Amino acid sequence: MFRLTIKQVLAQRLRLALTLLAVVLGVTFVTGSLVLTDTSQKLFDDQFRTATEGADFTVRSAAAFDSAMGVEVERDPLPHALLERVAGVDGVATAAPVAKGQGLLEFDGDAIVPAGASLLTTWVPEPLGAFSLRAGTAPNSPDEVVIDVATANAHGITVGDTVTVRAEEARPLTVVGLVGFGSADGLPNSTVAITTLASAQHLLGLGDGFSDIMVVKTDAAGPDFETTLTSALGASYEAASSRDLATASADAAKGSLEYLQIMLLALAAASLLIGAFLIANTFSIVITQRTRELAVLRAAGATSAQLLRSVLGEALLVGITASVAGVGLGIAAALGLRQVVGAFGVPLPDGDVSVTPRTIAISLVIGIVVTLVSALAPARRAASVSPIAAMRDNTAGGASLGRARTAGGAITAVAGVAAVVTVVAGAPVALLGLGAVLTIVGLTLLGPVIMPPLARVVGRPLHVLGVPGQLAAESAARAPRRTASTTMALALGLTLIMFVTIVASSVKDSIASTYKEVISADYVVESARGEMLGGLPPMVHHHLSQLDEVAVASRLQYGHWRYGTSVRALTAIDPDTIGEVASVDMVKGALADVAAGGVVVSEQVADDLGLDVGDEIPMTFARTGEQQMEIVGLIDDQDAQALSTDYLISLGTYAKVYTETMDASVFLRTAPGVSAAEAHSAITNALADFPTAEVRDQAAAISGRTMAVDQILGLVTVLLMLALTIALLGITNTLALSVIERTREIGLLRSVGMVRSQLRALVQAEAVLVAVLAVILGTALGTGFGVATVVALGQSGPLSLNLPISQLLLLMALTAAAGLVAGILPARRASNLNELAAIAQG
Amino acid sequence: MLATLESRTSTALAVQARDVVKIYGRDETTVRALDGATLQIEAGRFTAIMGPSGSGKSTMMHAMAGLDTIDSGQVLIGSTDITALGEKQRTLLRRERIGFVFQSFNLVPALTASENIALPLTLAGKRPDPAWMAELASVLGIEQRLTHRPHELSGGQQQRVAVARALIARPEVVFADEPTGNLDSRHGEALLGILRKAAHEMGQTIVMVTHDPSAASHVDRIVFLADGRVIDELEDPTVPAILSKMAHLEAPSTRIGE
Repeated sequence: MFRLTIKQVLAQRLRLALTLLAVVLGVTFVTGSLVLTDTSQKLFDDQFRTATEGADFTVRSAAAFDSAMGVEVERDPLPHALLERVAGVDGVATAAPVAKGQGLLEFDGDAIVPAGASLLTTWVPEPLGAFSLRAGTAPNSPDEVVIDVATANAHGITVGDTVTVRAEEARPLTVVGLVGFGSADGLPNSTVAITTLASAQHLLGLGDGFSDIMVVKTDAAGPDFETTLTSALGASYEAASSRDLATASADAAKGSLEYLQIMLLALAAASLLIGAFLIANTFSIVITQRTRELAVLRAAGATSAQLLRSVLGEALLVGITASVAGVGLGIAAALGLRQVVGAFGVPLPDGDVSVTPRTIAISLVIGIVVTLVSALAPARRAASVSPIAAMRDNTAGGASLGRARTAGGAITAVAGVAAVVTVVAGAPVALLGLGAVLTIVGLTLLGPVIMPPLARVVGRPLHVLGVPGQLAAESAARAPRRTASTTMALALGLTLIMFVTIVASSVKDSIASTYKEVISADYVVESARGEMLGGLPPMVHHHLSQLDEVAVASRLQYGHWRYGTSVRALTAIDPDTIGEVASVDMVKGALADVAAGGVVVSEQVADDLGLDVGDEIPMTFARTGEQQMEIVGLIDDQDAQALSTDYLISLGTYAKVYTETMDASVFLRTAPGVSAAEAHSAITNALADFPTAEVRDQAAAISGRTMAVDQILGLVTVLLMLALTIALLGITNTLALSVIERTREIGLLRSVGMVRSQLRALVQAEAVLVAVLAVILGTALGTGFGVATVVALGQSGPLSLNLPISQLLLLMALTAAAGLVAGILPARRASNLNELAAIAQG
Repeated sequence: MLATLESRTSTALAVQARDVVKIYGRDETTVRALDGATLQIEAGRFTAIMGPSGSGKSTMMHAMAGLDTIDSGQVLIGSTDITALGEKQRTLLRRERIGFVFQSFNLVPALTASENIALPLTLAGKRPDPAWMAELASVLGIEQRLTHRPHELSGGQQQRVAVARALIARPEVVFADEPTGNLDSRHGEALLGILRKAAHEMGQTIVMVTHDPSAASHVDRIVFLADGRVIDELEDPTVPAILSKMAHLEAPSTRIGE
């Protein structure tokens, strides 16, 4: 009796722990996502505030917009004469000119290529400048430079060493000092090189011009100083307050965080949903086990409402405890999440985590609400226990399934599938999401009805294991609700992974096949860093076009512009040579027509905007403002994709509206009679001075273009694996509870001679069966939604289906195998049950 | 017909328990559930173990059947000392040489009656002898119920299926723990009749734990337990004789559980 009591307490604790775990993991995910994005935003804010806090205003060339797609726009340099004009404005105490841009660092013959920027800027002493000397002296002569401590440490550079700074020009400079940035050793994922003004101007090819002028006002300057300064500058220049500037820069950087936050939160929601299934399941099993206790309470006079409150109270307690634990774990997990995200090519700034009250509040509320909502149905079932149930011996029997639920489930599921099918047949893609949700909801409602027959059929092969296998299949079939919700939780995780895998694989495949069809170039030279706008210095194209081995070198440039309020990208091409390296299908007009200053748009865009050849499209450029551009041709959608954007202009037009000189790609056709090896080595030699330029053959060029998809797929898969782990814990959880529930049956089996290994096989077999059921369901749903999405998108865009069979099979096998692992613990638990205690119970 | 089946000499001993001690709990809360109990079960006879609540009768049965370990003493099934056996060997011994009938929850809900009956054999990877299965089913009156699942059977039918399961492997001894406890008197009488018949006509050794004098009146011999010791016994009992013995035995101590 004492032993029994102890065992029951242990059982309670296990039950409690497993329920808690499901909530904790979901809340951890939510908190981790929020903390990570908050932290990154705060770090960006701090960084840009530090960068500008020394000056009151920054004078720079005017632009129609400040940033696009996370990149600050290029601005024209300021003429030398402006400095005097600014200095002469009433109330200006200091006007410090700055030349800054990209300058690659080379040390010991190797280029230092950071994931982020290679900043080259002008030394401005503190407090005006943002960098503070940590060692050595400031740069005084044109051949001196200071670099950031972080870069120096990472590459073993010390004061006295020589580094080469390569921008428009390259020059070896002596490192005379090391700087920090505020309290940090440098800028995240960047290198910093700071020279004298003259040196920076020379390296950046600015002549005697500046990038911007930092202004400090006198104490006597009045509140109308900004107006005075702005009117003194005229319309071509603007003065931005440092606070605005920091905000704008931080906003630009944070733009790229937004999609990450949305993605992380979506995945957190998925894992919470999976968690909700588990919570509901656990509570419902617990209620079933306690039916007698509840019935006794009812018989003793407890009302339904009291029972409902008592179960919900328990849920509330679990929700609060688990959410608090989840918030704590989530804060710790944020740093790990940053590593994971970083590993998939999304570099985030390093620094202490920042936890806002909002994060804590949201996470707690979500965790508690999800727990309460999940416990609602079991609680209502508890409240409906009749006092007579106390007298009944067998409480385990399957609760009757409402006919309304079954009918509702069937209707919902059919409606969902119908919606998905109509999308494939041509209905708007937006219906797909609704269809998917309806299908899943319908199947969730139907689960307890379809699971028993499915479990018996799928479990048939288990009969080769003898009695344990047979009992495993029966056990899964005889607990429809339990099996259904455990299966659905795992199936949902698998559905998401499969969906993402299929869509990503199709997108990659389409990118590759389009590229192969359109681009006929033998080689393409691109920046290895994958900058938003390219990143090849103009000299790259120049050198390559001089090579005897190269017949044609055609370059591409990218630019951002605005259509109304939305930011779009365009590609500039060389109308004379593009035909030699790409075979473009035009729907109307000819690509070469852009030479006259017009724009070629994709057929899709023309359709969407209701424009045709001869119409004008208003394009707003940062430097030159809005301009009416004539549409001179329509390009096939797929071919536009191969050239990266839906809008094509000529390099000549580009030069008129942008100052950007970097090329995005240089397409090369080798001269006749030159072997691939000869061409490759000639190109490589020509690129010797351009460490970030990389020569790629077709395959490498394609993988460069699909890298982003791979990175997102990798990140999503890893995070979904976490959700899947929660679902697998669900199998462990429910089986452990089911073992407790079946204590007497196990005791009976043991007493009539079932040995422990057979009992373990029984539990393991059920775990695998549930996993396999989930694999079947998840594969059907994931593949269905994935295929439907790709087919639907393929109707309006360049996308065709590519099923990554081997990857999908691997996922299926892994999930089934994971079921085996999930069963280990409950199996051991079952086999360790003392048969005597098992018989004595009841 | 049944008489032609295996019969054992009435003097052979099927089970022997010597000075069995079983202690529950630790330190101050220890309870000596068995305190030097010694008894012998003769083969081919229907024996009952009786005693007041807390006398240790169920513990005694568990110890003799190899369901639980003991703290000291010795238990022999035939000539096998089961106290020297490991957990797995005891399980295999139960499967092959011992049959069980419990008060309730005797059947695996997921299996049909015939699958439940065959369970000890199928667990060992063997098939039941169809003729023996048919004969048991006919003797127990459950031929029409073999394909049914437990929840489709009455309580009496369930217990008869359990008896068939206990007999299917032709065990050396069948232990029955309050087998009629959940049955009405008519079904209880019938079941006891079947058990008695199995002992007398098939030579099956049967040990029944009960606290019900009327159930115990069906057996050949009763062993009385009190405070974890065997204190008396009664051959060919009648209800009045049992009641008078029991009156002397009512345990003065009140223990929780048993």
